[in-house]
Amino acid sequence: MAFIRKQPTNGIEQSKRKMERDCASLELQLSDPSHSARRWAARDLADCLDSSAALVERLWREQNSSVREIILTTLTKLGDEKAVAGLVSCLRSEDAALRNEAIEAMKMLPDEVAPIMSQLLKDSNSDVRIFAVNILESLRHEKVEEWLNEVIEHDAHVNVCATAVDLLGEVGTSYSWEALENLKARFPDEPYISFAADLALKRIRVS
Amino acid sequence: MPITISHEEFLKFREFFYRKTGIQFEDSKRYFVDKRLIERIEATDSDNFRNYFITLRFEATGQELQTLTNLMTVNETYFFREEYQFKCLVSSMLPEITSRRKKQRPIRIWSVPSSSGEEAYSIAMYLLEYWPGINLWDVEIISSDIDTKIITQARRGLYSDRSIQHLPKNLLDKYFRYNGEDYQICDDLRQAVEFTKVNLMKTSDVRGYREFDIIFCRNLLIYFDDLSRRQAADTFYDALNPGGFLCLGHSESMSRISSLYQVRKFSDAVVYQKATEAQ
Repeated sequence: MAFIRKQPTNGIEQSKRKMERDCASLELQLSDPSHSARRWAARDLADCLDSSAALVERLWREQNSSVREIILTTLTKLGDEKAVAGLVSCLRSEDAALRNEAIEAMKMLPDEVAPIMSQLLKDSNSDVRIFAVNILESLRHEKVEEWLNEVIEHDAHVNVCATAVDLLGEVGTSYSWEALENLKARFPDEPYISFAADLALKRIRVS
Repeated sequence: MPITISHEEFLKFREFFYRKTGIQFEDSKRYFVDKRLIERIEATDSDNFRNYFITLRFEATGQELQTLTNLMTVNETYFFREEYQFKCLVSSMLPEITSRRKKQRPIRIWSVPSSSGEEAYSIAMYLLEYWPGINLWDVEIISSDIDTKIITQARRGLYSDRSIQHLPKNLLDKYFRYNGEDYQICDDLRQAVEFTKVNLMKTSDVRGYREFDIIFCRNLLIYFDDLSRRQAADTFYDALNPGGFLCLGHSESMSRISSLYQVRKFSDAVVYQKATEAQ
């Protein structure tokens, strides 16, 4: 036996590309019984600018993790309003895995998520507000600290504030000093809030 | 008047280059980027960034974009770099793959990025020297890069002292011929590797890359941003056979990129595996 050389795609291209690749067909293939066909459809839909709605719709039903992952990659790549709205809708899902996947995807879309962040942080559902703070954890956007300050200054829910103050322990600067002091005053009977705010203040002082 | 690149122009170029290649330049790379842009503006007689950018964006052949990509990509490697993974290849990964394989079809290995070929040739050498299975199995080694110039160099197989410094002397003597200036790799090894041009971010480029048993992608993802890493992880997943292995560089981890791979801790190295029951 030995080393053999062939063109890497010899025979593969023809044999595997049996399905139509136009946008309408690809959207239909999102419901194909084969995981592999669904993955490839989701992947190729990255070139179809109006496909976000179909991808989101499939994402909610999709059980296979590898297909879900590529749908999320494509939605992130498309990054249009429908894609972002679809990801936001996943934050309300009862499926924890789907919620976490949506959070991870939204972290990769700082410019697209920024315009709706204030709104998310004021959502009537406190869980959604916590997930919004989770997104801020690694969102590369200059307003992250400002948003966190808004939360700890105004949010009435202790768990939302606790999540935000934890993050301020990592990203806080002197800009957050007053808001952190005010937070302790707003929740005087919550020892965790005092502890986390003091920790954040200490880190700001030594930095 | 000397050509300069303004901050706005840098941002504009960075965004464009990222969309085309997935390579993201941090602000700290400004000098590196400006230097190469100015070099190409001069070489193409474009006078200024604006004219050059029009060529880059609208040239039908894409030749200038390819030339610039060649200049912007880092090509630094050497033979037997991160050798522990090659040990893992022959002692753990290949035995597992061959024990599972029912039909006698070739073992397929993809090395990306190829850079000047050191990794792909190291794999070939390692198999010949340390894997008895080479007498029983056919092996295909495919090595790809976005940089066409470096692929030509890889095919040529001429190496400096620096590239071969970690090779044991007996292997250097066996597989290379010194021509007074460079080390020429032997024809048998040159024939063992197929070098191809691939942009990992272009679905049309990678669509046909499938049915690999092992992929080496070391020290590339560190240059990518989160989304491009994720796309690369998806590409490798589709390129691998069920149970296939993915080897990353020592400072890279798939855990934060994708949840699709299982971590496999072998005695020589930690690698990532596509589930054996995956489609």
